[in-house]
Amino acid sequence: MIEILEKLHEEVTGRLERCGSPQDVEQIRVDYLGRKGGKLTALLRGLRELPAEERPSAGAELNRRRGEVETLLETRLAELRRQQEGAREGGARLDVTLPGNRLERGRIHPLTRVTDEIIDVFTGMGFEIARGPDVEDDYHNFEALNIPRDHPARDMQDTFFVSENHVLRTHTSPVQIRVMETRRPPLRIIAPGAVYRHDDDATHSPVFHQVEGFMVDRNITFGDLKGVLTHFLEEIFEGDVRVRFRPSFFPFTEPSAEVDIGCNLCRDVEDSCRVCRGSGWLEILGSGMIDPNVFDFVGYDTEVYSGFAFGMGVERIAMLKYGMDDIRLFFQNDIRFLRQFPP
Amino acid sequence: MKLTYNWLMEMVKLPADAGSLGPEEVADRLTHAGLEVEAVRPLASDAGAVIVEVKQVDPHPNADRLSVCEVHDDGTPLRVVCGAPNVHAGMKTAFLRAGSVLPSGQAIERRAIRGVPSEGMLCSERELGYSDDHRGIMELPPDAPEGEPVHAYLGMDDWMLEVGVTPNRGDCLSIRGMAREIAVLTGGRVKAPGLPDHLRRHPAELPVTVEIVDADLCPRYSARLIEGLRPAPSPPWLRFRLEACGIRSINHIVDVTNYVMLETGQPLHAFDARQIASRRIVVRTAGATGTLTTLDGSERALHPDDLLICDGDTPAALAGVMGGAGSEVTGETESVLLESAHFDPLTIRRTAKRMGMHTEASHRFERGVDPQGTRYAMDRAVALWEGMGEARVVPGYADVYPGARAPADITLRYASVRHALGVELEPDRIRGILESLGIGIKRATAESLEVSAPSFRFDLTREADIVEELARIHGYDNIPATLPAVRMSAGADDPLLRWMRKTRTLLTTQGLSEVVTLPFCSPRMNRTFTGLWDGHGRPVRIANPLRQETDEMRLSLLPGLIENLRVHAERRSQSSMIFELSKVFSLGRDGGYTEGLNVAGLIRGHRPRRGLKAESPEFTFADAKGIVEDLIEGTGCAGVLWGAGEPPSFLHPERFATVLEDDARLGHVGEISPRVREELDLPSCFLFELDFARIVHYARPDFRVRPIPRFPSVERDLAIVVAQDFPSQTVADWVHGLGQRLIERVEIFDEYTGAPIEEGRKSLAYKVFYRSAERTLTDHEVNGVHEDLTRRLCSEFDAALR
Repeated sequence: MIEILEKLHEEVTGRLERCGSPQDVEQIRVDYLGRKGGKLTALLRGLRELPAEERPSAGAELNRRRGEVETLLETRLAELRRQQEGAREGGARLDVTLPGNRLERGRIHPLTRVTDEIIDVFTGMGFEIARGPDVEDDYHNFEALNIPRDHPARDMQDTFFVSENHVLRTHTSPVQIRVMETRRPPLRIIAPGAVYRHDDDATHSPVFHQVEGFMVDRNITFGDLKGVLTHFLEEIFEGDVRVRFRPSFFPFTEPSAEVDIGCNLCRDVEDSCRVCRGSGWLEILGSGMIDPNVFDFVGYDTEVYSGFAFGMGVERIAMLKYGMDDIRLFFQNDIRFLRQFPP
Repeated sequence: MKLTYNWLMEMVKLPADAGSLGPEEVADRLTHAGLEVEAVRPLASDAGAVIVEVKQVDPHPNADRLSVCEVHDDGTPLRVVCGAPNVHAGMKTAFLRAGSVLPSGQAIERRAIRGVPSEGMLCSERELGYSDDHRGIMELPPDAPEGEPVHAYLGMDDWMLEVGVTPNRGDCLSIRGMAREIAVLTGGRVKAPGLPDHLRRHPAELPVTVEIVDADLCPRYSARLIEGLRPAPSPPWLRFRLEACGIRSINHIVDVTNYVMLETGQPLHAFDARQIASRRIVVRTAGATGTLTTLDGSERALHPDDLLICDGDTPAALAGVMGGAGSEVTGETESVLLESAHFDPLTIRRTAKRMGMHTEASHRFERGVDPQGTRYAMDRAVALWEGMGEARVVPGYADVYPGARAPADITLRYASVRHALGVELEPDRIRGILESLGIGIKRATAESLEVSAPSFRFDLTREADIVEELARIHGYDNIPATLPAVRMSAGADDPLLRWMRKTRTLLTTQGLSEVVTLPFCSPRMNRTFTGLWDGHGRPVRIANPLRQETDEMRLSLLPGLIENLRVHAERRSQSSMIFELSKVFSLGRDGGYTEGLNVAGLIRGHRPRRGLKAESPEFTFADAKGIVEDLIEGTGCAGVLWGAGEPPSFLHPERFATVLEDDARLGHVGEISPRVREELDLPSCFLFELDFARIVHYARPDFRVRPIPRFPSVERDLAIVVAQDFPSQTVADWVHGLGQRLIERVEIFDEYTGAPIEEGRKSLAYKVFYRSAERTLTDHEVNGVHEDLTRRLCSEFDAALR
């Protein structure tokens, strides 16, 4: 019995291979599974003549074989139908590995991409956008930020002057003053923009971009500064990032904190890491609690309000995100550089 | 500020349980306390040289310039061949045995030099990596201990720490200041080198008088007179320590003043006492005094407010900045008048800025020097000189201190600490930190402390300053991060940002890539590309540009794009499609500064495609216009007109268009003018620039949906022949103006010139769409209207039907 079944299966396979049309397949079905005269059907009928104890196992085997044959028939039938359809449309199988036709899209500049990402993290926390002029007066760029004339803190930023009283802003911090002069707390603001320093080499560009941010309300603490900025860094560097806050000095904040993130480029090279110079940490943000003198300039009651402010370099964040070590690439706009960013 | 690790640790007594603190650990502690250590490195590597005495020097038998020396190392006599010109019997020098390796990597071998075996090498400072000096082998002092390692003897087994001291921490511009910080951070204390008793017993009188005209400008002036002080080379430890800290060694007189300045933070000045002939020091402002020649040899024009140290009436030094050439210590100096004073920071800063001088002294005075430290610093220098030779201090000293001030009281409320930091510090913890910092506690209540800052901390004047110190020493890491509980504020939406993002998407979809260029511009480019200021734009000039040729701010974004095009063309790139969305700058007639926000683009060549059929046609004016149309449509800017008008000088006079809204110029688009192209040596390209701020102003974010027509339209074509310069848009505008209800719209679909159309004329083909909102129109109905339209059109525009 088993042998007979094996032989029938081989017959079917052979005939299916040779057949050329769905009609041929139909004929094979009649020959083997047909109600009258089908070879498998006949075997099934013959079960009755077997001794009772053999019947169940033989029956199961026969049914399995029948199922197999049915699948073979269906598969072959579908294949033949597809072939027939293809032949009707004409032509051979396409080479689908050829490139698709499309127009080349332009690219958004990486500085814009990163600025937008920064903005999105903060607007997600309810921050609004504010803007200020690039040609800024001495009062907003320095004086009201607690950097008086003749103060050594002015040496911290090499300045471009356009007149006795106007400079190209050296930071986006003057926007803090401009907003606070016209509005009252609660304030949650970020201010993106270009800033200017009299400086030009592989790590400094005379023009670069910052995003300034600040928050003023009742009961804002240094702990809040840490919380908000840690959240931001986790978002912008996508997940787990080591963050450290260390004391520093900015004339317009007190206490001031420099924020570093753990360098993730030097796990294997330690001392020779060019990015963090072997320290394992990278400066990423300047921040602090807004200095009472600044609140005095804009007429906020320091007994009622407190707040924090921070500023970051967009180029620096972009360089870390994209593994770059030359800031000038951003301003050369080489299309071979820009095209590396997905459209 | 540069300092060395050993020097720093000599001045701190660490608590017994602190163990030792290595250079890296010290660096880390300082960094965490706000004194960022930017570099830590060993001063030099140790090649293993030892101190030897050269016992005997004989000429080399086979070489004129070489000598054969005998030295004793471990008591055994060794023979060394030496080529140095300065080798002589009896000198102490550095010897490196065969088998050692120089810092340069060169191995010292036992070998014969011109036939004479040599057991090692006598070394110069450069060879050992200690300095650039290679004039001869090292000449060590006669008392240098034979057989001892040179490295340790010179103090080279040390590390240099470079610390970025922020402008508020003038008190940390010294080893002592850094030592104070380490002491606070570790619970240790500061050790100051002691002074000999005789200096302490001196009375406050000196055969030199000091007169201070304005106590505000010079609160304190101390001085000593030292005799028998003739300039000599400094001992090696002094010299190498100074050099490790970035100060050049001159002679032991000057070197000691610098050494004490580094150690204490108090700048000192040594006058040649003979040149202070009147024995009368007067501290006054320059007033009408015209000039002073400083010891760098420059004759300096004085400002009336510059503070001078005078010998009677004669200016002798620019106070706190630099000494005068006339009273400088020279080779003939035999006695010194030593000045240790305190000057007003602002006065010093103004003078230094005006003169463009930045000295170690002015740097410190600008940031504040401890007025209480003048006498110690002066006596410390005297003690060092006395230890080095024949210097004899003249008993007595001058110390005029008219500007003594009691420290201001500051109230520190515990609530303020909690309020600012968001963390509760125990009163005991607060008191502990304050005391370690030298902040005096005068009174204490349950809620607050009355405190006063130490004389060296000029940055502590307000409660917030004290709170910062608490945070700093308590440690930022120990303040838990929290998220603020905020009051909601309305509306974070920013329309400008939204339109900027949309515009970038529109333009990149069109194939243009965004560039970011520097806004600096040459006057020539600003004269050519005058932007959208309608002739009112005057460039903003930078008083101190990085490069003289680009000393203006751009009026237009086009120069930046053009510059980029030039780079592309140099790379033989066939196509460019770029845009920038950024600021432009103008100086108004009233002297005010105006900033515009423009979007500009440049296209050249053809649009790049991907895939096998990658050919796009060459760009024409219509492509540039299409990009602008897409942008305007994308922002929903209504009522935009395309006009001709006066062409901007940089655009082709026959191939440009002006974009108008409400008769105001929104921008322009066109082909670059052949003249400008030639002048700037550029390939041909199409440019556009639009006033983005105005586009946003006119942008319509909302619109309403119109019903989809229920009845079909009927179309009729219409071709006319008109003059070559006839604007095709005129017809559509005119038809709309007719108000014929059945005409839905008119679209142009072809423009043709050439045979059989006669020269100077062109054919324009339009499709007119007829539709009624109430019914399906019949041919008969449409034909009537269309014939009437055709007739009126021809007579209106002097057009012939085609």
